[in-house]
Amino acid sequence: MEVIIMKELLEANDKLAEENRSYFASRHILAVNLMGAPGAGKTTLISAVAQELRKAGVQVGVIEGDIASSIDADNLEKQGIRSSQINTCGECHLDARVIRDGAEQIDLKDAVVFIENVGNLICPAEFDLGEAVRLLAASVPEGDDKPFKYVPMFSYVDAVALTKCDLKDAVGFDSENFLKGLHAVSQAPVFEVSLKKGAPATGAEQLADYLLKKYREMA
Amino acid sequence: MHELPIVLDVVRVVEEEAKARGLSRVTKIYLVLGELSSVVDESVQMYFEIVSKDTVCSDAKLVFEYVPASLKCGTCGKVFPHKGSSFQCPDCGGDSVLMRDTGREFYIRSFDGT
Repeated sequence: MEVIIMKELLEANDKLAEENRSYFASRHILAVNLMGAPGAGKTTLISAVAQELRKAGVQVGVIEGDIASSIDADNLEKQGIRSSQINTCGECHLDARVIRDGAEQIDLKDAVVFIENVGNLICPAEFDLGEAVRLLAASVPEGDDKPFKYVPMFSYVDAVALTKCDLKDAVGFDSENFLKGLHAVSQAPVFEVSLKKGAPATGAEQLADYLLKKYREMA
Repeated sequence: MHELPIVLDVVRVVEEEAKARGLSRVTKIYLVLGELSSVVDESVQMYFEIVSKDTVCSDAKLVFEYVPASLKCGTCGKVFPHKGSSFQCPDCGGDSVLMRDTGREFYIRSFDGT
């Protein structure tokens, strides 16, 4: 006999994600799921945007996801940003289950909390974590063709930070092609960012403003 | 890479549903897979062969049903399935936009059992 069940897979994750969403809302936390390839500049972006958010009087926390090590969380703590480290021990993405632990460790209220996902342009787009904003860090040296190649990720996010924009000329990045690909799969706004060491930072302020607006819109 | 927990879920769900109906052997499981779901069917198949051993699903064949994402033409409004890497409207050649949340399907539609 044929049994029709229409059973969603990943349902267990989605249920936990909804619980996380309620948890964040009850604490007036804007949770930002930051995704991107290894080396896209996710941690550097968090540091720079966190500075801007703190200038505006908003607390910042970070839940760090990495396959191994606590390098990123340690660095952020040194800058006075409350962080917790999740080691996925080889898993290619964060899932909703581990996020609640991380959130309870940093124990914040009235804050913007970044969830720094594992460096990967594929798997994280499959797992809702209960975030309010999905942010992608796409770096210039990865190439302008990435929106055409990684459609699941680029179509999943609410906003894109185009990082390392100071390298555009060096690598011959075609901004028009990048935007053409992005606009075919997403309406996400793009924030051009350059955070080169020893040079003036650009773009972090605009991205912080975008997040602040979302934060203030929360009930 | 994350197909293993998914396959564990498939086997668990089908076992429960089969038991509830008094079925002792599952012969086919129909899975619906959206093209943007980042799930690799070969990987699902490989894990399934390992995970299904000694369960009611041990002889089951996996049947994949693929669902493309939908695009909407910005010029003429036509909705059409995504093919290859083109975002051009097949009717008027206009640029199209991916429709949000389409092609992300991933569920067990049904199974056959005795």
